[in-house]
Amino acid sequence: MSPLLDVRELVVRYGRTTAVDGVSFQVDAGETVGLIGPSGCGKSSTAAAVLQLRRPHSGEIRFGGVELTALGERELRAVRPRVQPVFQDPYGSLSPRRRIRDQVAEPLRAQGRWSAATGPGRVRELLALVGLDGEHGGRLPHELSGGQCQRAGIARALASDPELLILDEPVSALDPSMRAGILNLLLELQETRGLGYLFICHDLAAVRHFSDRVLTMREGRLTAS
Amino acid sequence: MRAALTRAAGLAAVLALVGLLPWLSGKDPALSLLRARSAEQEPTAEALDAIREDLGLDAGPFGLLGHWAAGLIRGDLGVSWVSGSEVLPSVTAGLQVSLALMGASLAVALLVGTALALPVLVRGRGGAGTLGAMLAAVPEYLVALLLLVVAGVWLGWFPTSGWGGPAHMVLPALALGIPAGALLGRLVADALPDALDERWVELWRGAGVGRRAVTTAALRRVLPPLIPQFGMAAVGLTGGAVAVETVFAVPGLGRTALGAARSQDLPLLQGAVLALLALGLLVGVASAALRAQLLGPALRDAALTLPAARPVRVSPAVPAVLGTLLAGVTGWGLLRDPYVIDTTARLTAPSWAHPLGTDALGRDVLARLGHGAGSTVGTAAAVCLIGLVIGLALGFLPNAATGLADIANALPPVIVGMLVAASTGPGAGGAALAVALISWPPLAAHAAALAQEVRASAFLSAQKAIGASPARIMVRHVLPSVAGPVSRHAVLRLPGIALALASLGFLGLGAQPPSPDWGLLLDESADYIERAPVAALAPAVALALLAALAVALSAHTRRGGPRRAPVRKEAAPVAV
Repeated sequence: MSPLLDVRELVVRYGRTTAVDGVSFQVDAGETVGLIGPSGCGKSSTAAAVLQLRRPHSGEIRFGGVELTALGERELRAVRPRVQPVFQDPYGSLSPRRRIRDQVAEPLRAQGRWSAATGPGRVRELLALVGLDGEHGGRLPHELSGGQCQRAGIARALASDPELLILDEPVSALDPSMRAGILNLLLELQETRGLGYLFICHDLAAVRHFSDRVLTMREGRLTAS
Repeated sequence: MRAALTRAAGLAAVLALVGLLPWLSGKDPALSLLRARSAEQEPTAEALDAIREDLGLDAGPFGLLGHWAAGLIRGDLGVSWVSGSEVLPSVTAGLQVSLALMGASLAVALLVGTALALPVLVRGRGGAGTLGAMLAAVPEYLVALLLLVVAGVWLGWFPTSGWGGPAHMVLPALALGIPAGALLGRLVADALPDALDERWVELWRGAGVGRRAVTTAALRRVLPPLIPQFGMAAVGLTGGAVAVETVFAVPGLGRTALGAARSQDLPLLQGAVLALLALGLLVGVASAALRAQLLGPALRDAALTLPAARPVRVSPAVPAVLGTLLAGVTGWGLLRDPYVIDTTARLTAPSWAHPLGTDALGRDVLARLGHGAGSTVGTAAAVCLIGLVIGLALGFLPNAATGLADIANALPPVIVGMLVAASTGPGAGGAALAVALISWPPLAAHAAALAQEVRASAFLSAQKAIGASPARIMVRHVLPSVAGPVSRHAVLRLPGIALALASLGFLGLGAQPPSPDWGLLLDESADYIERAPVAALAPAVALALLAALAVALSAHTRRGGPRRAPVRKEAAPVAV
């Protein structure tokens, strides 16, 4: 069986600086691949390239058998929902001016899957899945705690029915007391939905505990681990 | 680099606009020129055609522009359409007078600025305060009129018109120098406490460096980022000079330009405006050079910045009271008729029938003030809206906008007003267009900063990852985050825009009589200040209140306008 995500010889450049220099790895469905390394080693650039938020300089990113780098912006939009990000900053990843339930509903609306009959129920379901209730849904991000915002961000990612989540340091900005809750939630979701995770972190203990395999990155390259 | 290109393009566009004035205005000066040149000659078709050909008027816009540019390079500015005399000598004569006046007013500005900054220098804290902010906001024409009335007419200390000796220079220099000096003093006084709060000051003091040395170093630390602002203030002097020279009948460049604009003597206007623009450009270049000199290598390595001038702290009650007062007067005046002429009740003192007295034609001043506010504020609101649209549009093209904004910032409203009035004829619409053309840069800068902030947020990456189209992201996420704060910002600029419109009205470049425009009221009232002081001072007081309102509102810009999205790293819920 071919892997869910197959990255080959990925190169990402910012001007003359090479942030990612020939990285190759695979992620299978239901598998968690940890990616660790010091700040500035190219972890987040790899994530941005896999999400196609930044087009790579060269290399292949094959997702579910589709070569993403070959797709145009319009075709890419059809594939994007299947790979969803969870960001580090729980507040920054939500719009400060819209209610949580609207933000979780946004993927449904943008992807043309919203209807007045089923939409609100679907949003409640998604919020319940991450441990938030309808009362949280009516609030604005700054009225929630960081952990609650991170849960809302995960609910938004799930709204697209993804197969792969790119977790870019999802617990680094959280209180230690809240980290375990979020990590357990992610494990649960993986079990019930068979999600693949690319888990980026610089906390080796958390990565070891959480991941099936761990990749180590240094100065844009993977090192043997 | 791209900003430099657009700046050059903008400058070329302004020059071309000046050169094309005769074509834009669609005026045929042949007949008036013929009369000016020789009274006897018959206005035959051949004679008129010869003049048109001589001026390059029949060659279309490009031919005209080429003709003008070629003349410019030879040092030939053409011939006045009204007097038939050479333009260049009038311009150089006016330039000499204006340069002397500006030199004197710069000296005044330095004195005023030092006086405002001195308390902060001595105490090491505080700010310029409300007085400085008020003085900086009051337009030059208002200061000029007040000085004319108080020091010139009532006290009789100085001559009030003409250009004879040093005594003639005092009042115009004060009128130009006080607002400019207040601005300089306020900028320095507000920036100093921040510089004195920096770490190095503590270190120096701990090391036993004397108070004077620390203060000098702080001053030197504060100046470089402020110098571009000083340059802008000096450029503003060229616009202020038009009003002040007109009030005091000083035969300078500004008055020459205004006279030419009013009589549509386009070659003279072109020459005078060109000289004013060159003056402004020279000041800009000089201030940039001075800044580079002061900063040295720091400019290349890392630009030094200081927080912008701190807004004056004003209780929210102040703008509320000022606004209510103005609205009250306006509402009361709107109920009365501003056009009824009663020649038996000319220049009466305030009474129950005429609460603010009557003007020279026996018209009710309160009614005129009320209706004037209605039309001035209405026009200002329209101008604000246009500025908002331009600002939002250009805010999303920051590269193109910076260069254009530099040009717009460097053009005082009065000069743009003269150019517009010369090509369309003076009128309320032209004045509104002139102010709208240059009122957008702060809004565009604000919009650009907000758009950049939104685009850089993880939240927007999430939208992209969802598969939302760029148009959807723009309309549903970027625009709402930008439009709200920028709109509030635009509303706060309304009083300032109304003041600029009034200044054009005052100079006869805006609304025309018998319209009750505030600037026009002020201009008319200046003539009867001694016989009916209350009626004459009413528009001046109203304009001063408007300036105070502008200051008080700007104090609330931070809270009401550019509010940043909350960015927090801690997981602490914060109630609002």
